[in-house]
Amino acid sequence: MDITASPSSAGQLAPSESIRQQPSAEMLSAKALALRASVVAMVKRVRVGYLLQGLGAADIFATLFFSELRLRADDPEWDGRDRFLLSTAHNTALLYSTLAHAGYFPLENLETYTKDGSALEVNASERVGKMVEATCGSLGQGLSVAVGMALALRRRGSAARVYVVLGDGELQEGQVWEAALSAGHFGLDNLCMIIDRNFLQVEGHTDKVLHLDPIPAKFSAFGWHAEEIDGNDRNALVDVFARARAAKHKPYLISAVTKPGAGIPFLEGQMSHVALLSHEDADRAQAYLQGTSR
Amino acid sequence: MTRSSAEGMGGFKDTRHVSPATLDARSYGRALLAAAREDERIVCLGADLSQPTQTDLFRDQIPDRFFMMGIQEANMVGAAGGMARVGDIPFCHSFCAFITRRVYDQVAMQVAYPNLPVKLVGFLPGLATELGPSHQAIDDVALMRALPNMIVLEPQGPEQVGAAVAAALTYPGPVYLRLMVDRGKTNDDAPLVPLVIGKGLVLREGRDIALIAAGIMVREATRAAELLAEKGISASVVNMGCLKPIDGNLVLEMGTTHRAILTVENHSKIGGLGSAVAEVLAESALSVKFGMAAINDVFSEGASLNYLLEKHGLKATSLCATALSLLG
Repeated sequence: MDITASPSSAGQLAPSESIRQQPSAEMLSAKALALRASVVAMVKRVRVGYLLQGLGAADIFATLFFSELRLRADDPEWDGRDRFLLSTAHNTALLYSTLAHAGYFPLENLETYTKDGSALEVNASERVGKMVEATCGSLGQGLSVAVGMALALRRRGSAARVYVVLGDGELQEGQVWEAALSAGHFGLDNLCMIIDRNFLQVEGHTDKVLHLDPIPAKFSAFGWHAEEIDGNDRNALVDVFARARAAKHKPYLISAVTKPGAGIPFLEGQMSHVALLSHEDADRAQAYLQGTSR
Repeated sequence: MTRSSAEGMGGFKDTRHVSPATLDARSYGRALLAAAREDERIVCLGADLSQPTQTDLFRDQIPDRFFMMGIQEANMVGAAGGMARVGDIPFCHSFCAFITRRVYDQVAMQVAYPNLPVKLVGFLPGLATELGPSHQAIDDVALMRALPNMIVLEPQGPEQVGAAVAAALTYPGPVYLRLMVDRGKTNDDAPLVPLVIGKGLVLREGRDIALIAAGIMVREATRAAELLAEKGISASVVNMGCLKPIDGNLVLEMGTTHRAILTVENHSKIGGLGSAVAEVLAESALSVKFGMAAINDVFSEGASLNYLLEKHGLKATSLCATALSLLG
């Protein structure tokens, strides 16, 4: 079988993707708000899930799924799609909200979150569908999978890119640095990694558990383009993704500093890996978001 | 890569003109190369062990599908998962200990759970290295058998390696190939031995006891059968080259037609071939004498294979004695 001569659509951007319009700041703002409302509603309903991290990373996900990624929600297996991997896999109130809002499945499916028999498990698995490109959650593995995808796509001459989101605490896993060396060595400029830099891990502040800084300098030394930005600034995110897409010869590392609980003032900056909302606080958060949307 | 640079890097012999009909050393490397020439989805990943895993042949002849990942097995397996998801059929290479135990979680989550066509190829099975316990994979079959979706193959020698590669490619999911390094012996006259997933081969038909073996132990079991014959005991020898799924029907047939079954393996007594056979027997209604010749739940040491097989009771003479004792 000759894969390079196969008549697949790999690498061929459809017109709708190639001339995709730059989304307006207002649209992205509305999407981020909708994602935050979904996250609060899901966590309120089932009283499990990752609330603060979901709110914190909502701007990254909104920018990725409604601006940066080339995807076809009606054809999740489209060869030419960009690949998105969530290596931590547990920030799923946000991931599933994003997938639903992006059109991969109906919003009402979110009501099955964590229910017995539902594909919407706490850690995202490929039971959800092809848009969950790998089952991660055993920390440190997502970047390796992304490296393999990037190598295979490059061998096929595909224009598709690979995006992988890691948690900052996840950088403590040794495999991440194996993969980082590898991505730098192979010069994978079709690979973009986003670190959700929220300083939060189970035991507390990342600086106290195992110091991580300076993150961009470490990746620069491993042969990456690397920069740190405000991960709750959607304009900054749009811009950095454009720089990453244009960059050549090296993979791109974006250390996106996010604020746990971002978007809801009384939750912003709280440092808890497994925060749950009281019913009253959930009502308060929803009331705040509804007020913001008016 | 040019011939001269390959020689400059490692001084390895150029093997491009070796006749594919010969069955001398490097049977695996040539089988993989032949398969890859037929199927462009096959890619070859290595972890700094090209020559010992015979993949320098692939490296030198299909360089655009060869990925030297460096000494990082975890990343290699994760990357192989990513490649398979884009449509490749990755063959990952290292020593048995490092392609199983060292990367167990990566294999579980990025290969076995998603049921991807990643082929894990290990050399130095069981006691077969002088390097000692760091490199002696005495638990690899147990580990790989425990993973859902995983197929485990252990050919008896160079004459069955080509069939093992072909069998791995017929299965659209993950496979672990447990291979012995050919020690440079030519074996041109050996007939090719087939290997079919889920099937064992009866190499010798007897009546009293069935010796069920895999890999390099097939040879010892065959010699043991010859020694038993000298003592008037008729032994069957089964090459159980597919360790998972085990050929349960053949096990039951052996249990029905013989007074005893002795499993013979270059692996810990826990979780390997003997365990697989015992699981079949225990769930059946058969009553048959059963014994396991294996490494008896101990770590071993660096020494010659011959010395270690002797020490762990796995030479033909020991197997013969064990069989006689089992028969009573």
